Amino acid sequence: MDKLKENQAAYYPGCALLTIDRAYNNSSKLVSKKMGIELVELQDYNCCGIGEMKSVGAVSMYLPLRNMMLAKSRLGSKDLVMACSVCYHEFSRSITRVRENKNELAEVNAIFKEAGEIEGEFIPDGEARHILEFLYNEKGVDEVKKNTVKPLKGLKAAPYYGCLYSRPSMYTFTDKKPNLDNSERPRFMHDFLEAMGAEVVFYGNEVQCCGGRNVVQDEETSFKLCSQTLSKAKKAGADFLVLICPKCAGALDVNQPKIVEKFGKDSELPVVYLTQLMALAFGFSKKEAEFSDMISDPLRVLKEKGF
Amino acid sequence: MALENQEKRPVAEKGEHIIARHLIEDDRIEEEKNLVIDGVDVSGRWNTFILSRVDSDFDRSFFREIKDTVVGSRINRCWQCGMCTASCTVTPLYRRFNPRAFIYMMQLGNLKELKKYVDVAWRCVGCYKCSQRCPKQVNPAEMMEALALLIKKYFPEEVESKLKVDENVKKIYEDMILGHGRLDLAKLHISSMQKMGRTKELIGKIEIDAIFKMVKDGRAFSVLRLSRPHNWRKSKEAMENYLKNIKTIEQTTI
Repeated sequence: MDKLKENQAAYYPGCALLTIDRAYNNSSKLVSKKMGIELVELQDYNCCGIGEMKSVGAVSMYLPLRNMMLAKSRLGSKDLVMACSVCYHEFSRSITRVRENKNELAEVNAIFKEAGEIEGEFIPDGEARHILEFLYNEKGVDEVKKNTVKPLKGLKAAPYYGCLYSRPSMYTFTDKKPNLDNSERPRFMHDFLEAMGAEVVFYGNEVQCCGGRNVVQDEETSFKLCSQTLSKAKKAGADFLVLICPKCAGALDVNQPKIVEKFGKDSELPVVYLTQLMALAFGFSKKEAEFSDMISDPLRVLKEKGF
Repeated sequence: MALENQEKRPVAEKGEHIIARHLIEDDRIEEEKNLVIDGVDVSGRWNTFILSRVDSDFDRSFFREIKDTVVGSRINRCWQCGMCTASCTVTPLYRRFNPRAFIYMMQLGNLKELKKYVDVAWRCVGCYKCSQRCPKQVNPAEMMEALALLIKKYFPEEVESKLKVDENVKKIYEDMILGHGRLDLAKLHISSMQKMGRTKELIGKIEIDAIFKMVKDGRAFSVLRLSRPHNWRKSKEAMENYLKNIKTIEQTTI
């Protein structure tokens, strides 16, 4: 594979985005390209561990770091951009841990050596970057404003950051690095939505958890947390809940029919990804933004509002 | 589930307004009917007393065991401020889930107490609010993973009876990630539903609608196309060798 050129960035898709959440994947690429950065997909990537592998020692760090090594050896990129918050968390966790702890770095390197797949030792000099933070810092709000050809006038959006985009700052360094978001009151998505002309709704559950981690094992907890978030956003008058994580979508969008069945119509609210709304504002069609992929049916509301 | 019954257990009238009431045994709470101290009537809330207790029978060797794991390496830093419990997402839903108390019990090696909480200990949603707000960077969210390791080692029969679902699903994740390198979400959903004994729900209306939608727009086929990363076998073998050699808590189980 060729090394990256200027205006290209190494992109880690992750398992969900290549399959069920292709809407997020495709719209992220469309939007980034429009803003002047091409996302180049990393081939032969492996799963980051999605938080289920933490108890198996250094393996939990080997899984994400193998992808960092691949990006460096194949694409020549220290940094890796990703759209999923869980992947982002796993990557930043591993990088921070091996940076701060020599023993853990040695353990990970021992696995790399034994596998013998990629040459050289792992050096923690790159960063994992969430696509929201990446676009915000590399291109900025002005670029979003400039590219908006179809302002989202009259749309009320409730941004939902979830847990792992901004937390914990011991791994993500939010609050600590000046260019990153605030961990308790993130604002990057607010800024983007406002730049596109949408009205941002404040509803109080922006950084609450959706219980996505246990969505398989413990539906009971997840459903309760999700219904809180959905009904609060709906009560505040939102037309959409705007997400930046496919795992949140698994809990809030895919499971929404079940939540509505259990907790009533108060929890019925269309869910979209931020990049889908950006694609719409940048002049792509609803079909290109793949709104029809969402189970919570955002198309109906879009039609009502004249989009 | 047996768990639900426990959550709905009627709260003992005695001392019911005490926060974290579940940590105190009934006979350690004394409530006076009409209490007068120095001529002042202190009825109501002020007449509740908790008898002090002495814990001396604990095993500190246990502490070392947790500290040696990746997830529990910061247990020595905790000074029991309770910020983790105060910010926890799960505690409001399940009162008996109390990270601060769990960490305290782990520090003391108080297995007798820990055993009482096997049924809620796995409910952590991993939202990292506790780790964000912890003033000592103990990382309570990962401490809950250490707790899971510990429970697996010391209470295998409890795990078998109460935590079977969680353990089975975790096993599916591990097999899939280590074995194939990538996560097949459709397969994950189906096999975990089977393990949980909920196969019937898979042919319910909501599930069928979702599957039909994904077949129609082609996403169902992209799931099938998700292949293994090239040369994954090398990584797989290296990781398996590592797991054979490390001496974490779970490795010493057998």
